[in-house]
Amino acid sequence: MRFLELANRNLKETYRDPLALGFLLGFPLVFMLLFVAIFSGDTISSYPIGVIDDDNTPLSQAFIDEALAEVPALEVSNYDNTVTAMEDLKFGDLTAYVVIPQGFGEQISRNWQGEEADITLQMTYDESDLMLSEQLISIMNVVTRSFARIEIPITINANPIHIETEITYADFMGPGIIVFGILILIPTSARIMVRDKEKGFLARLLTTPTKPVEFILGYSLCLVAVAIAQIIIFMVGAWSLGMAIVGSLWLAFLIFFLTSLCSIGIGMVVASLSKSENQAEPLCWLFAMPLAMLSGCWFSIEMLPSYLRAIANAFPYAHTIGASRAVLIRGVGLEAISSDLLFLVGWAVVIFAIGVILFRRSMRS
Amino acid sequence: MTSDRTESTKASDNLAIQTFNLTKIFNGLVAVDSIELNIKKGELFALLGPNGAGKTTTIKMLCCLLKPTGGTATVMGYDINQQPFKIKEIIGVSPQETTISEHLNAQEHLNLIGRIHNINAKELRNRSQELLETMGLAERAKDQVRKFSGGMMRRLNIMMALIHNPEVLFLDEPTLGLDPQARRAIWEYIVQLKGEKTILLTTHYMDEADFLSDRIGIMDKGKIVALGTSSELKTSMLGKHTMIIYAWNLTQKVINEMRGKYDEVRVSDGTMMISDKQLDFKEVVDHLHSSGAVIRSAYIKEPTLDDVFLRITGKELRE
Repeated sequence: MRFLELANRNLKETYRDPLALGFLLGFPLVFMLLFVAIFSGDTISSYPIGVIDDDNTPLSQAFIDEALAEVPALEVSNYDNTVTAMEDLKFGDLTAYVVIPQGFGEQISRNWQGEEADITLQMTYDESDLMLSEQLISIMNVVTRSFARIEIPITINANPIHIETEITYADFMGPGIIVFGILILIPTSARIMVRDKEKGFLARLLTTPTKPVEFILGYSLCLVAVAIAQIIIFMVGAWSLGMAIVGSLWLAFLIFFLTSLCSIGIGMVVASLSKSENQAEPLCWLFAMPLAMLSGCWFSIEMLPSYLRAIANAFPYAHTIGASRAVLIRGVGLEAISSDLLFLVGWAVVIFAIGVILFRRSMRS
Repeated sequence: MTSDRTESTKASDNLAIQTFNLTKIFNGLVAVDSIELNIKKGELFALLGPNGAGKTTTIKMLCCLLKPTGGTATVMGYDINQQPFKIKEIIGVSPQETTISEHLNAQEHLNLIGRIHNINAKELRNRSQELLETMGLAERAKDQVRKFSGGMMRRLNIMMALIHNPEVLFLDEPTLGLDPQARRAIWEYIVQLKGEKTILLTTHYMDEADFLSDRIGIMDKGKIVALGTSSELKTSMLGKHTMIIYAWNLTQKVINEMRGKYDEVRVSDGTMMISDKQLDFKEVVDHLHSSGAVIRSAYIKEPTLDDVFLRITGKELRE
């Protein structure tokens, strides 16, 4: 099997080069450690929030006493009405207050019985600290969702502005960081291939009866090994960063793996189009950086204008972040993310086909 | 294997490489200009020419790395445009650039190319052992090649072209940039291969072409401007003898007398160069002596390929 020989050679060339190996494995590691350092420890302090229970049912009581009180980041105190709560908010004694509206208990119990009922919470907070409010909303969201045991997004009627976010900060960042790492596979893949091109080793191999598909397979197998090692590092890193892992690890791994294939594919296409590392490198970053922003690695893409979201959704990475968050944090199963998985598979197939076609074309200029 | 080779006439049966108006144009620049070349099986043919003459482009087209703009060629009966993968199975190529994989050792390089060509394990072991020994790399077989000297890398480059026992061998500037000792070592090995394999070699070292090849094609500006054995080129193309005299006291008078007598006379710094179809050593020396010149040395210069090149193209081989 020629492609196995090529893959073998490519792997040796990669793991015997301390600098390359250091970059491939060390970079994700350093990257993860940095994020752990930034987001762990005292940075997330606890927020004093007030709760007004307008529902006043056993379920709403349980929600306050068992669910909200269990969150380390929250310091919950009960209020009778919004007037006093608002006063404390204005004085800065509270960062926010939440109103549990009437019918909350009923909505929860309907969800427990398998119906998909909308759940509504009212939250008022100081809008001057956007970061804080976003974190609070996401915490509320996760707590409520886990209490209601549902996968559908719940509605939080936030006041004064409505922001739909989904998760706590660490949970939110985890998949994003992993996807950012996978995006970096684009320049990595391109580099490995284009270096052979630049140094003429590829031209030498092109005088052998090796077929374009075998070349692509040879490079991808090597890169897949690199990708698997990186995903493991990222997942372990994200877990130690405090990312909740509720759902199937294997399913999450599958999502990340398929995304890696897309990155490898993009890298190969770029490599086929460029003559040297100097050409390939900036071209890769031109893909990777905007995609990292558009796909929601660092912030939620809900706030993006619709045309930017459309661009983001045309690439795999936004789907990956959505699907992996659903699996890791909400614990959804294969069915719920099957359309995202299909999209990723389709994308990988198409980009590899393009890679082979471009490679064949560049084989004989 | 022979069944699907293109139909060929009896006369071309003993030809390994044939080109038919082979042409390559890069953005309007004619790199190879409709060359017609016949290389016999077992022949060592050298393409000699300065940098940019089109030698490497010719080889790249024959190796199926470049698509010709016009014309075609066959290698062992296979057409370069129609059956590139058939050709790739039976050729060995040593590119001009030393193309190696830095972090692999010499043995692994040979294994890689051997296995890509589906050589069985036993044959691969034997052949690589044999090659490593004859090329003097046996002791370094397990060292990563990035630690190799330039000469060792070139040798490995050639070994990689030979490991699968190809029928046709393309050596593009096999000794480029090597010191004389390393060049000798490679020459000796190439000489051993003569007759066994068809070899197409490019070089811009005239001594290399002179020493190694059965026939030489002199290439300039994409064209083959002269073709023949080394001695054919030197004698029939030139047909002139050259004499070099170092002397003191060469007066303008005697220089003018010499210019009247012989076809070409050039003088610089006490050195006189005389060229003509007929040249009598004694006659020249006597004439100069009688005119009062003090001759320190004088000799008849054998024509070199450089002279041939100069004569044909009007410029030196090495710029």
